Amino acid sequence: MAFVKSEAALKRGALQFHEAGTGEPLLYLHSAGGVRLSPALERLAESYRLLIPVMPGFDGTERIAGLHSMEGLADLAAEFIDSVVKKPCDVIGHSFGGWLATWLAVRHPTKIEQLVLAAPAGFRTEGAGGLPTDPEQLRRAMFAHPENLPPETRAPAILAQNRAMLSHYHGEHATDTALLGRLGEIEALTLILQGTKDGVIPVASARLLKERIPRAHLVYLYDAAHALEIDQPERFTNLVGDFLRRGEAFIVNSAKAS
Amino acid sequence: MKFNYFHLMPWCQANEPNQEWPVSNRNFVPEQGTELYKTYINTMIYAEECGFDWVGCNEHHFSPYGLMSNCNLIGSVLINRTKNVRVAMCGNLVPLLNPIRVAEEYAMLDVLSGGRLVAGFMRGIPHEYVAYNMSPDESWERLAEAYELIVKAWTEPEPFGWEGKYYQYRAVSIWPRPHQKPYPRVLMSASNPESARFAAERRAIMGVVMLPDYDSARESIRVYKETARANGWEAGPEDILIGAHTFVADTEKEAKALLGDGLKYFYDVLAGGPRTAQRLVVQKTRYYRDTDAALKRTAARRAVLKETSIEERIEKGIVLCGTPDQVVDQLTRMKKELGHGVMNINMKIGNIPDEAVLRSMKLWGEGVAPHVRNL
Repeated sequence: MAFVKSEAALKRGALQFHEAGTGEPLLYLHSAGGVRLSPALERLAESYRLLIPVMPGFDGTERIAGLHSMEGLADLAAEFIDSVVKKPCDVIGHSFGGWLATWLAVRHPTKIEQLVLAAPAGFRTEGAGGLPTDPEQLRRAMFAHPENLPPETRAPAILAQNRAMLSHYHGEHATDTALLGRLGEIEALTLILQGTKDGVIPVASARLLKERIPRAHLVYLYDAAHALEIDQPERFTNLVGDFLRRGEAFIVNSAKAS
Repeated sequence: MKFNYFHLMPWCQANEPNQEWPVSNRNFVPEQGTELYKTYINTMIYAEECGFDWVGCNEHHFSPYGLMSNCNLIGSVLINRTKNVRVAMCGNLVPLLNPIRVAEEYAMLDVLSGGRLVAGFMRGIPHEYVAYNMSPDESWERLAEAYELIVKAWTEPEPFGWEGKYYQYRAVSIWPRPHQKPYPRVLMSASNPESARFAAERRAIMGVVMLPDYDSARESIRVYKETARANGWEAGPEDILIGAHTFVADTEKEAKALLGDGLKYFYDVLAGGPRTAQRLVVQKTRYYRDTDAALKRTAARRAVLKETSIEERIEKGIVLCGTPDQVVDQLTRMKKELGHGVMNINMKIGNIPDEAVLRSMKLWGEGVAPHVRNL
């Protein structure tokens, strides 16, 4: 599945995005690692028109002047839905992107259908987890199966810049208290995914979201760390695909489902 | 030291040595079965009176070796008729079962008993995999995944789903939740270094339910303690269970004769079929991981045990057999050698008559328990 890279001219500025597949639109919001066109995403693009915007400043793109908050990014994503997708759509967000997707669901509820929050950042209330500075520790926190990682093609400077964008958009906060207070407003049927070996996002964070989001399901991905799609691509795509296709009936066993 | 009165609930009406697998049930007599269950359950309940701290059941399939294909059923009866003893399920054979069902039944037992459950997560002996048509190759992976899932089912505050390799559940929320917090104490088999490591990583009680010899038990205990430390906790005596065939009688001669005959019956008549299945499993699968030669040595040692006389067993210190005073001495030696804090006591060996078993328990309560409690 070949991804095509394009640029959307939005009112706030230019936004690059990757796109592949046909069918119902599916918006994917990337983690602070930037966009990694993984086999799991390729597989989702076999069933959906998958759109992956590159948030300004990530993967070597230009920042947008005056845009330096999660709320601002959520508004930008909403404008992307209006001008490129042109109708409400399902949204997946991973880690930083999950945090962003949560803001999008709170600020622009009419623009999204169903919501998938894959190990979302922003809700580490007890301070556990986070990104270790030691490279080996970081690797273990991120990956249960680092051998699945495709070779890195991006320059080290770009990866470092991606990390720097984290603090650009949300400072150094582990917990977004403003957003926490608004989780009860989320109307979308929501799937929260948490890897059983995630060393970045603690279990307490997933439980908190499950408790506060009114129509939420929490599913653990066994033998996956923070990089769910890399560690368990098949479990990830089967589960997400089934949820998006069948909505709340995804809890009913269906031999044809996946 | 704590003592677990453990029972296999064997069928003792067969007389011929038997190597067939599975063992035919053509000669099972239901009326005798009913009487056996009554006797065995009464015996286990009597254990509380005789100073035992736990009573223990286990799960076996397709064999006269043990009549508890689901030991939770027996556990439920024991809970209802005892007051203080902990009830140890030294099974369930978790890789063979629906893990949600295990979580539920254990939670029921724990709530029924007011928190007296010791929750065994066993892998089972090889023939069980033939009985339930499961691949022995998958046993470790299934045990590891099911363990995590069951602990989640016990502890998650909200409904949750599980997307695993062997198990997929989209919405789990068991009723009841267990009584003990955060969850019931777990017991795992640790008869070799690999399983000892596995148990310590999960902070389970390690069990060498049938002591083969001191050296291999010491090695398991060493690996268990070392792994515990590497995982940030110190294993104490209360975390180590050692089991031995036990028989107490008024005279040494009587104890030896009864236990000797019982063992012979156990190995020749009851264990023949399972041994046949075990040979197939061990030869044809990776039930024991090939890399660990120690496992094969353990299996070989077990085979030798079958031929070992009662005198040799007493000499090696791997059975408890004799008068109350002798058993106190034997236990003291074993404790000194291994440093464990829980002892698994199995007195109904093979076809030892139940009246003799009850006498052995009475002697235990009067002449052994008072002297070994503070070991």
